[in-house]
Amino acid sequence: MDNNIDKRIVALRERLDYLKDIFAGKNLGDSGLLEDRLEAFASRVREGSLRDDPYAELSSIEDLFGHVERRLDKRITAMDKVRIVRHPQRICLRDILENVYDNFTEVGGQDEYSLDPGMLIARAVIMRRSGKKTYSQAVMVIGQEKGHGAEYRNGGSVKPWGNAKAMQYMHVAETEGIPIHSYIFTPGAYPIEDYPGAAQQIARNIYGMAGLRVPIIAVTSEGGSGGAEAIGLADRRLMLSHGYYSVISPEGAAAIEGHIKAGERATPEMIEHCAENLHITAQDNLRFGYIDRIIEEPPLGARPWHFDFFRTLRQEVIRATDEVVISTRIVPGLRGLALNRHRAPEVNLDEMHISWALSPAAKDRLVEKRQQKFLHLSRYAVRDNRPLVARTTQACLDWVSRPFLNFKYDIYRKHQRRIKGFVEEIGNEWESFKSRMLAPWRNFKKSLRPKGEDKSKLELTELSAWTDDARQRRWNYLSPRYKIDRTVTCPNSESYGCLDLWGPDLYAEFAGVCSYCGHHFPMEPEWYVQNVFDKGSVNEFNAEIEAGNPLSFPTFDERIAAAKEKTGSRSGCMTFEADIEGIKIVVAMLMGTFRGGSFGAAEGFKFVEAAKRAARKRCAFLAYVHGTAGIRIQEGTHGVIQMPRCTVAVRRYIEAGGLYMVLYDTNSFAGPVASFLGCSPYQFAVRSSNIGFAGPGVIKETTGLDIPPKYHRSYHALSRGHIQAIWDRRQIRANLKQTLLTIGGRNLYYR
Amino acid sequence: MSKQDKPTIVLEKPVMSEHNILVANRGEIAMRIMRACRELGVAFTAIYTAEDEASGHVALARELGGPKSLYRVSSYHDANELMAVADDAGCTAVHPGYGFFAEDFRFARRVTKRDRKMIFIGPSWKIIRELGDKINTKRLARSLGVPTVPGSDRPIYDEMEAERIAKSVFEYQEQQGIKHPLVLVKASAGGGGMGIEEVYDPDQFRSVYRRIRSYALRQFKDEGVLIEQRIKDFNHLEVQIVSDRTGRHPIHFGTRNCSIQSTGRQKRIEVAPGFAPDTLEYTFDAAKVLTNIVDYSLAMAAKVRYDNVGTWEWIVTRAGEPFLMEVNTRIQVENGVSASISRVAGKDGVDLISEQIRLGLGDTLGYTQAEVASEGVGVEYRIIAEDPAANFTPWVGKIEKFSWQEAPWLTMFTHVPTDRPYEIPTEFDPNLALAIVWGKDLDEAKARGLEFLASLTLEGRNASGDALRSNVSFLKENTERLLRF
Repeated sequence: MDNNIDKRIVALRERLDYLKDIFAGKNLGDSGLLEDRLEAFASRVREGSLRDDPYAELSSIEDLFGHVERRLDKRITAMDKVRIVRHPQRICLRDILENVYDNFTEVGGQDEYSLDPGMLIARAVIMRRSGKKTYSQAVMVIGQEKGHGAEYRNGGSVKPWGNAKAMQYMHVAETEGIPIHSYIFTPGAYPIEDYPGAAQQIARNIYGMAGLRVPIIAVTSEGGSGGAEAIGLADRRLMLSHGYYSVISPEGAAAIEGHIKAGERATPEMIEHCAENLHITAQDNLRFGYIDRIIEEPPLGARPWHFDFFRTLRQEVIRATDEVVISTRIVPGLRGLALNRHRAPEVNLDEMHISWALSPAAKDRLVEKRQQKFLHLSRYAVRDNRPLVARTTQACLDWVSRPFLNFKYDIYRKHQRRIKGFVEEIGNEWESFKSRMLAPWRNFKKSLRPKGEDKSKLELTELSAWTDDARQRRWNYLSPRYKIDRTVTCPNSESYGCLDLWGPDLYAEFAGVCSYCGHHFPMEPEWYVQNVFDKGSVNEFNAEIEAGNPLSFPTFDERIAAAKEKTGSRSGCMTFEADIEGIKIVVAMLMGTFRGGSFGAAEGFKFVEAAKRAARKRCAFLAYVHGTAGIRIQEGTHGVIQMPRCTVAVRRYIEAGGLYMVLYDTNSFAGPVASFLGCSPYQFAVRSSNIGFAGPGVIKETTGLDIPPKYHRSYHALSRGHIQAIWDRRQIRANLKQTLLTIGGRNLYYR
Repeated sequence: MSKQDKPTIVLEKPVMSEHNILVANRGEIAMRIMRACRELGVAFTAIYTAEDEASGHVALARELGGPKSLYRVSSYHDANELMAVADDAGCTAVHPGYGFFAEDFRFARRVTKRDRKMIFIGPSWKIIRELGDKINTKRLARSLGVPTVPGSDRPIYDEMEAERIAKSVFEYQEQQGIKHPLVLVKASAGGGGMGIEEVYDPDQFRSVYRRIRSYALRQFKDEGVLIEQRIKDFNHLEVQIVSDRTGRHPIHFGTRNCSIQSTGRQKRIEVAPGFAPDTLEYTFDAAKVLTNIVDYSLAMAAKVRYDNVGTWEWIVTRAGEPFLMEVNTRIQVENGVSASISRVAGKDGVDLISEQIRLGLGDTLGYTQAEVASEGVGVEYRIIAEDPAANFTPWVGKIEKFSWQEAPWLTMFTHVPTDRPYEIPTEFDPNLALAIVWGKDLDEAKARGLEFLASLTLEGRNASGDALRSNVSFLKENTERLLRF
């Protein structure tokens, strides 16, 4: 018996199993046909009744497999692709390291002996020839390793410290000046809050990558939202044709859409429906512009024996890296020529050498290009209701005012300070001269005045002038709930014995704070807008930007319209300028009342604009998170892309010398915390708020862990090092004033 | 607040039988309120807790109002429960007594602003709030030229300014010839003795200031600090103010002297009037001081349109300088001693609690200041189970014998039953009885006081068999120095 035939039968059986698995009960006719043919042949092999040329027969079966696979590949659905990327037979990062790169050394751990075996990091080498010369080009390969279902790899769900390890080696690559190839094979990050924190570490990674001074190429197979973004902010984003890139797993989306309670499961139809409507495939994302290129996989997805695919992949990552390097060159003509040469289909990049080293100036251009690339994404996915005239005027005004503001703050202010100092000095001299000259006259005047009953006695017994009576200040805005005559029970009454509070006291004078234990009941966004900032100083901008339904997600049009109706605002993010004791700041407020404070393209648009405005005007920038449940899932990747986008905006603002503060209130979770909020060096929380990556239900669902009560409470976040302080709601104004005066960058107008 | 923005209130004579007053208190004050209600023909609803089952006020409520007028609650401190009782019983007004909710403007506001509105028998909540704030009161006084304790009248946030003020308070006292000047630093948002410290050495000030400031920031979220002279040698006087709901014509019921106190500054003997310039020698013009503090108090009451009974508390220094201390926007324990010497239109038997209820419900005063006269001297003893020798430590146990010699010049207010043993509840202050003695002059009042105290039998044992301790001997000893500065 030929051992080889057995092996090929086993391989075909695996192919068949794979096919059956990924279609999960669909296409049974096709799989049945293949199974019949294969098993008939296998039984003949067992019985020894093979015909004259078993290899020919085997080949014809293999051809049939190929034929059926190609045919089925044409009607593959989004959910099939989800099953493909999750299948243990799917290619893994180690397969890529072995087949795409010429040599590699695993760093930062080895197999299960690793800080986090889900995150694999290797220093890899690509050998290229040019003429007779051989060049070796080093890259840092970073990615999640699913390990064909090996349990210790945790399915590529990376823990916070795994992402920290990735960031560490990205910095190593930066130091060494070698490009980074990141491979995204993750269903999502492991939602654990321990330091460095799932959300906070992802935020740090995105922030770091937004300014990393080496080319970054990302290849996505399974792009599960936050986990993917942790290593996904790249100059070129490639995607495997059978991969998916999504805001949430279809199951998770189905659970939310179907209002599934803990312990229940969404129906397969619902999951399929969500997978379809979330537009998670490579083709969708290319259309949206969130990836740059699709790498074609073999029918039904790449498996470790698809060696042709690895060759393609190698060409693609080399091309992408070369292109990034070329695009940093200055001379446009040469750049175009080089790029054209590269894009010729017949070119073999292994036989062409382009140095991946960059000059400091080229690195600047690289980073700028990357940042601009992300800033320009998804802008079309919002409804911009500003009239054309207003939009163009605004753009012109921005364009015209920029040099003026630059002059005002960078040149005039500096010199003004110097002039002022000089004038003051002169003044001091004059005063002391005057007092010396006039001393005799003063003494004479003094001798005329009666002694005894002097000013100090009057000060101690007479009414003094007192202008700023902070204690007497009434709240400018009261929660409408104060009108209802009812008692409210504090959630801590069981443990602390708080008596019931009378609603009209609680929601008016007490500012929603339990007077026994200090528990903060949630308040409306308006409360903050009216009570934190100087009265009448709030000036909203970009209110016309409207949240829409960019994916045309079924029934979502009505739901978003209902949210607008309910809140009276057009998106979940209100951006405004306001004063705190005369100091102007720019605020982006995420409103928990608008669809749970979910964050989509419109919110991202406004957030980025607000950051730009703050930078232009040299104002401090406050992200006040009244509440956010995460990225708006019904917007799919239009939402996810806001994570890197807004982080880029924030990084540019911080690096321009601003002061970026985040203040969390009520519940702040998921995407926004794991990106543009969590990356702020100054994060504060209002008491009784919850901060985290995933809620308790999701943690239980994805990890099986039972989390302790109050796991996400701000006090825990504080002790984990995620935030800097916890504020009392009634003190927000005073604390903001204090922070404005004491922290932040060099470029603030009031300094 | 200016007088213009207050609406003019037109009084309408209340129909007493239409009202039902929730007596939101316990002990002797609850009993006095119930009796006053009975007198006025107003229904009442009483409350008690499990610990107070045996208290006299429960028995009296059953006797005067029947079992339906009595509700058991879990705490006297839970406003929600009180409101539930009031609604169930159909109360139209709430009398807070003293303590508990008496000076809680939020409670008063809740009573008057809730969906089923009731009358709060006390000043309107805005006045309670206005006068409950010590800075506000001090500034109001100063704006009317009423003398207040020398020092700051607004919270000081700036360290330099604080030091400058402290320095001038020290200097001011030296100018006045005070040997050991003291400066008081207190958290402006504080109260009840928290966040207060004395400074005797100017060099020490800065560290005390910083300590109080950070305490205030932690405790009250406001680092404002008040800096005042600490007056050591003084008498504690009070002016009893009474006004109808219009607040236009406040009148006074004379003065009281409450200088005999426990070490913890709790009053033990109160005397009306505040001084006895006819019988005793003073180093200052005592009569003038009394006139002044009454005038000052009335001026302030008129200014805020004070609209119920209240007490202006004063300290009078040895030099005869009065300083306003605070305003108690409630009926006080010692109201009876003022009533005992008051004659309205020549008649005695004045009951300030009954006046408070009547005016609170919207009745007109019915007489003028000119018709209020005073006659004789009243002394009120607070009989308390405590050990004056051991720092007035409360004594807890069972009272077995409690009796005294009745006399026409004696009024006793007590919730302690005399016909059966009584276990003193540990939850509340161990005040047992108030004895008010009247005499035609100070000497007679003192003699009668001693006579009463001599006739008093108060015996009991605690769980370990020790005999009851009371302050009766302390009261006897101190009777001699009544009204002496």
